[in-house]
Amino acid sequence: MLEVRDLSVNYGHFTALHSISLNVNPGEIVVMLGANGAGKSTLFRTLSGLQRASGGSAKWKNTPLTGGTPEYNVAHGVAQCPEGRLLFPDLSVEKNLRLGAFVHRKDTAGTNRELERVYTLFPDLVQKRNAPAGSLSGGQQQMVAIARSLMARPELLLLDEPSLGLAPMVVEQVFAAIQRVNEAGVSVLLAEQNAYAALDIAHRGYVMESGVLTLQGTQQELMTDDRVRSAYLGV
Amino acid sequence: MTTFLQQLFNAVALGGVYALVALGLTLVYGVMRVPNFAHGGLYMLGAYLTYASLTGLGIGYVPALILAAIGVALLAALMERVIFYPLRDAPHVSPMIAAIGVLFFLEAAVQLIWGPDFKQIPAPINGIVEIGGVIVTWQRLIIIAASVVVVVALNYFLKRTLTGATIEAMSQNREGARLVGINTNRVGALTFAISGLLAAAAAALIAPTLLVSPSMGEVMNLKVFAIIILGGMGSVPGAIVGAFLLSFAETFGGAYISLDFADVIGFAMLVLVLAIRPQGLFKRGT
Repeated sequence: MLEVRDLSVNYGHFTALHSISLNVNPGEIVVMLGANGAGKSTLFRTLSGLQRASGGSAKWKNTPLTGGTPEYNVAHGVAQCPEGRLLFPDLSVEKNLRLGAFVHRKDTAGTNRELERVYTLFPDLVQKRNAPAGSLSGGQQQMVAIARSLMARPELLLLDEPSLGLAPMVVEQVFAAIQRVNEAGVSVLLAEQNAYAALDIAHRGYVMESGVLTLQGTQQELMTDDRVRSAYLGV
Repeated sequence: MTTFLQQLFNAVALGGVYALVALGLTLVYGVMRVPNFAHGGLYMLGAYLTYASLTGLGIGYVPALILAAIGVALLAALMERVIFYPLRDAPHVSPMIAAIGVLFFLEAAVQLIWGPDFKQIPAPINGIVEIGGVIVTWQRLIIIAASVVVVVALNYFLKRTLTGATIEAMSQNREGARLVGINTNRVGALTFAISGLLAAAAAALIAPTLLVSPSMGEVMNLKVFAIIILGGMGSVPGAIVGAFLLSFAETFGGAYISLDFADVIGFAMLVLVLAIRPQGLFKRGT
């Protein structure tokens, strides 16, 4: 399981994360709610090895996630599908996906199998496989981004704002896909501003405000919590 | 008509050399976002290493070319490690100044070892070929054939191999590349090595048709920077098209207008393109 203990991250004198502790159990979808700038992306970047922690620890199944490189974290089963997707726009969809399996580059057969799996998961991508990733619609690009992170065959998927900038109908498709990924055995940590859609598929959740976790609970608890309802569900 | 065809061969040969040098520069820019002002120095060093291998070691032209290419490739990778890598988080101007420093250092070092006077590299196959009344030197044909082979090989490497794809991926989205587990340091050093290899090969190819001197890198620097700005910084097809645009403008401008204007025409074209399409002819995705 993912165990984050007292994790702090500073950018110069600014503290983005104040001693955060959380966990994600195998097979769970855990949602991280919070407004823009709350520190969700910082948490994700730290868990992927892009950002150095200033204190505390994060482990996935006894693999330390802080202090290594993104390469190390991906190779040890933690992949991030980042906010803004960060695709390779001029490369074809299929090449984007194959690069997603870069850490498994010696296992071509396994990569080909995984490729078939993600095409089954996202059938829309099959006919776009040779198109440049940048030419796809926003929703399709998000599918490519999720598929690319799945190509690393992660045990834990970090999904940062997958619904950002997408039309409501597309958001539904994306969340349905996340649920299918999870049912296939991948644990998911999901950062979202779209609290309703996220809580709908999550088992548990946390609320982050200004770099501090202010609330945690099961899906039911969060759905019925007055603070969550007023701040994130708009009811 | 004969003059035209004659100039055509000259332009294609020159364009091939420009393309090889410019491709390395544009790849490095794409991956590192650093304009490597030392690139012309690598080109110049390639010519000297070819010269040294031919005269000092007494080996043939082809082994000398390969040796020079490998030598400069290793040096370029070393340069990335000891100069550009430590400056990766520094303000943008620092690696630029460092690159200019490397260029001066290479020039001074070459001058110290081989002296300031011109060197001549004998052509591997002397003489000329007559094709339908057009007279072409063997060296120009060798240049054309070799640059086609190298460009095709580079294209295969970039488009068909996973390692090549990591270079393109990194130039299109550096952070995305890190997230899929690509070691961007290794890709950076590799890209520098490739750029050195291409520059040295180009120098070894063109050296028998001109005089080798420590300052030859500065002239080439100006031209290849014009080419990649023309084609779009970081764009591979842009570098190839830009190289031939410049070589055709120079060659035909020189032949039909005035030889004195050959260099001016190239840069006039650059000004024109920048006025109309500031991002270069081949705009690339971010």
